[in-house]
Amino acid sequence: MKLRKSLKFAINMVLHSKLRSWLTILGIVIGVASVIAIISLGEGMKQSLNSQLGGLGGDLVTVSPGFSSSSKFTHGRGPGGGGGSSSVATEEEVVLDRGDLQALKGISDIELMDTQVRGSVDVSYLGKKGSVTLTGVDQKYWAQITISEIDEGRMLGPADQNVIVIGGKLAEGYFDQPIGINKMVTIEDMAFRVVGILDDSSTSIIMPIMMAYQVIDDKETGIYDSIIIKIKDEENLDLVVEKIENKLKMIRHVTEKTKDFSVSSNKQTQEMIAEFMSSMTMFLTAIAGVSLLVGAVGIANTMFTSVLEKTKEIGIMKAIGAKNKDIMTIFLFNAGLIGLVGGVIGVIFGIILSSLMPIMMSGMGRLGSETVVSINSIILSLSVSIIIGMIAGVIPAYQGSKLKPVDALRYE
Amino acid sequence: MKHKEKLVTLKNVWKIYQMGEVKVPALKGVSVDIHKGEFVAIIGASGSGKSTMMNLVGCLDLPTKGDIFLKNQNITKLHESKLSVLRGKTIGFVFQQYNLIQTMTALENVLLPLELQEMNDEKAKKQAIKVLKLVGLEDKMYNRPTQLSGGQQQRVAIARSLANDPEIILADEVTGALDSVTGKEIMKMLTKLWKEENKTIIMITHDLNLANYAQTIIELKDGEIIKIKNNNKQTTVRT
Ligand SMILES: Nc1ncnc2c1ncn2[C@@H]1O[C@H](COP(=O)(O)OP(=O)(O)OP(=O)(O)O)[C@@H](O)[C@H]1O
Ligand SMILES: [Mg+2]
Repeated sequence: MKLRKSLKFAINMVLHSKLRSWLTILGIVIGVASVIAIISLGEGMKQSLNSQLGGLGGDLVTVSPGFSSSSKFTHGRGPGGGGGSSSVATEEEVVLDRGDLQALKGISDIELMDTQVRGSVDVSYLGKKGSVTLTGVDQKYWAQITISEIDEGRMLGPADQNVIVIGGKLAEGYFDQPIGINKMVTIEDMAFRVVGILDDSSTSIIMPIMMAYQVIDDKETGIYDSIIIKIKDEENLDLVVEKIENKLKMIRHVTEKTKDFSVSSNKQTQEMIAEFMSSMTMFLTAIAGVSLLVGAVGIANTMFTSVLEKTKEIGIMKAIGAKNKDIMTIFLFNAGLIGLVGGVIGVIFGIILSSLMPIMMSGMGRLGSETVVSINSIILSLSVSIIIGMIAGVIPAYQGSKLKPVDALRYE
Repeated sequence: MKHKEKLVTLKNVWKIYQMGEVKVPALKGVSVDIHKGEFVAIIGASGSGKSTMMNLVGCLDLPTKGDIFLKNQNITKLHESKLSVLRGKTIGFVFQQYNLIQTMTALENVLLPLELQEMNDEKAKKQAIKVLKLVGLEDKMYNRPTQLSGGQQQRVAIARSLANDPEIILADEVTGALDSVTGKEIMKMLTKLWKEENKTIIMITHDLNLANYAQTIIELKDGEIIKIKNNNKQTTVRT
C-alpha cells in the first residue's frame, strides 16, 4: 500500500474514532499548550531583559559597597536606571568614599567614572505628591557613561545645579498633569527645573550629586552608593575588573574573604541573568514535558485498545491483501496523527495562553509582561508530539501487524 | 471432465489446533486438486473442517503438515509479504458476515484491495466502478454498509472480491445471513461469475440445495474428504 493511502486510511480511522481518542488528544493538548506557554514566557523574559540591558554598556563596571550575591543583581541595572536598592545586609555600614575613587583613578584602563548616590525622596508637582527614587550623579561624566537615552530636552551638563532629568513614566502618567521641559518640580522642599526626559518607562529622577546630598535625608557628602566605571577597551573587561578588585582590596585592607565591596560588569550581570532565565525556563519546560509524557502513555493505551477493537478489520485487510507492513504503517500513522492533532490544538491553546499570560501575571512587574511565541517552539512541540505519538504507537502497531489473518477474522 | 490446469493442490494436508493441552485435528490428511474454471462446493457437517480448509486454500493460515500449492507455488514456503500479495491478487474472499469496513463507503471498500496492490488512482476507480456495476450497485456506491441491506452488503463484498480480478473466489456460507430469495440472487451472481468471467469458485455450504449450483461437490467428515463427486444435477441459472 502506498504511504499516501495508508495515511488516508489512518485519517479515516481518527475521524471515526471514539471519545476515547479525543480524550487522549486532550492529554497531548495540555502537554503541548503548557510547553508552548512556558517557552514563550521564557523567551519573552529573555527578550525584555535583553532590550532593557541591551547590548549597551558592555564597557561598564559598577562598584558597590557590601558583598553579597544578591547585591550583584540589584546593582546590575546600570547607571541612572533607578530601581536598584542600595541596602546591603552587613553589620556596620560599609561605604565607598573619595579614597576609593582616588585609588581607582590610578588605573590607566579606566576612561571615566561616575559617582552615584541613591535614595527615596518626596516629590510634588502642581500640588500632587509622590515618592520616587532619586539618583545623584556626577554631572560631568554621567551623560557620557549612562546607557539611558534622552527623549526630550538634554542630559545633565557640567555646569548644572538645580536641574533634573526625569524618567519617561514620571513625566507622563505619574502625576495628573504631564511634566514638560522647563517645568519646576519640588523635591524635599527644593525646586528643580526639568531639563530632560529619558526615553524609558521609569519614575526615576537624576540630578547632580552635590544637590542629591542635600535632598536625600541620610547621605553624607563624599559617600557614594556606587561608582560606575567606563573602561577604555571592552576587550579587556575581565582583566580590568580584576585590577579594580585588587586595587580596592588593597586600599580597603580586605582580603577575598573579608571583601566588603563588589565589582560587577553589565556584561557579567547580563550573562548571569540570561543563564538563570534559561535554566529556569528549562526547568519549567521539563515539568511541562512530563505532562507530554503522560499524554504519550495515554496514546499507547489508546492504541492498544484500538488495535484490539480493530482486530476484525485487520483480519479483513489481510484477507484482501494487506501486508504486515501496511497494517503497521496505518497504526503508526494513526498514533502519529493523534499526536499531531493534539499538537496542533495544543499549539493553538498555547498561543492563546501565552497572550493571556501577561494579563494574568501583571502583578509580577516587568518580567512576564511579554511573551514571545517562537516558530521554533511551535515546530519543536509539533514534531515532538508526532514523534511521541508514533513511539507510543510502535508496540501496539507491531502487535496488530503480527496478528494471524485467521485469528483476526474470527475475532468479534 | 476436461483436463485443465491445476490451480489449487492440497497434498496430505493436516491442520491440528492446540487447545491448551488438547490437540484438535481439524483436517486429517486431505488431498485434492482444484482446476482452473471449476465451481466447487465443499459440504459437510458443522465442525467437519470446511472453514479450516478454506482458510488454508486462501492462504489465511498455514497447515500443520503437508503442502499446499497455489498456481504452482508452495505457499507453506512463502514469506508473509509474498503471501499477502499472492492472496490479494489471486483470491477474492466473500464471507458470511460480509466483513465490510463500516467507516467506508461501498466504493471505498471496493477500492481497498486495489490500493493495497498500489494500483494508480484513476485505474483503480474505473475498475471499482466496473465491478460495482457488475453486481448492480453503481447507484449505491457512496452508501456506507449501514445504509445498505444485507443482500446489498454481500454484493459489495462480492464486488470487493472481484476488484483485483482474481482467479479464485472463496465463498464461506455467503448466503448464511440472508433470506432465501436474496440468497438465490447471490448464488446466481456467483454462477454468473463462474460462467461469464471464468472465475474458479470454491464455495462452502451445508445446504445441499446450494451445493447443487456447483459442478463438483467435495464432502468432508471429521476432517477427511469422504466423497468428491461430479454434480450431474447442477442447477442451471439463466443469465
Ligand atoms: N482456532 C481454533 N482453535 C481450536 N480449534 C479450532 C479452531 N478453529 C477450528 N477449530 C476446530 O476445528 C474443527 C473444524 O472447524 P471448522 O471451523 O473448520 O468447521 P466447519 O466445517 O467450518 O464448521 P461450521 O459449518 O460450523 O462452520 C472444529 O472441531 C473446531 O472446533
Ligand atoms: Mg465454518
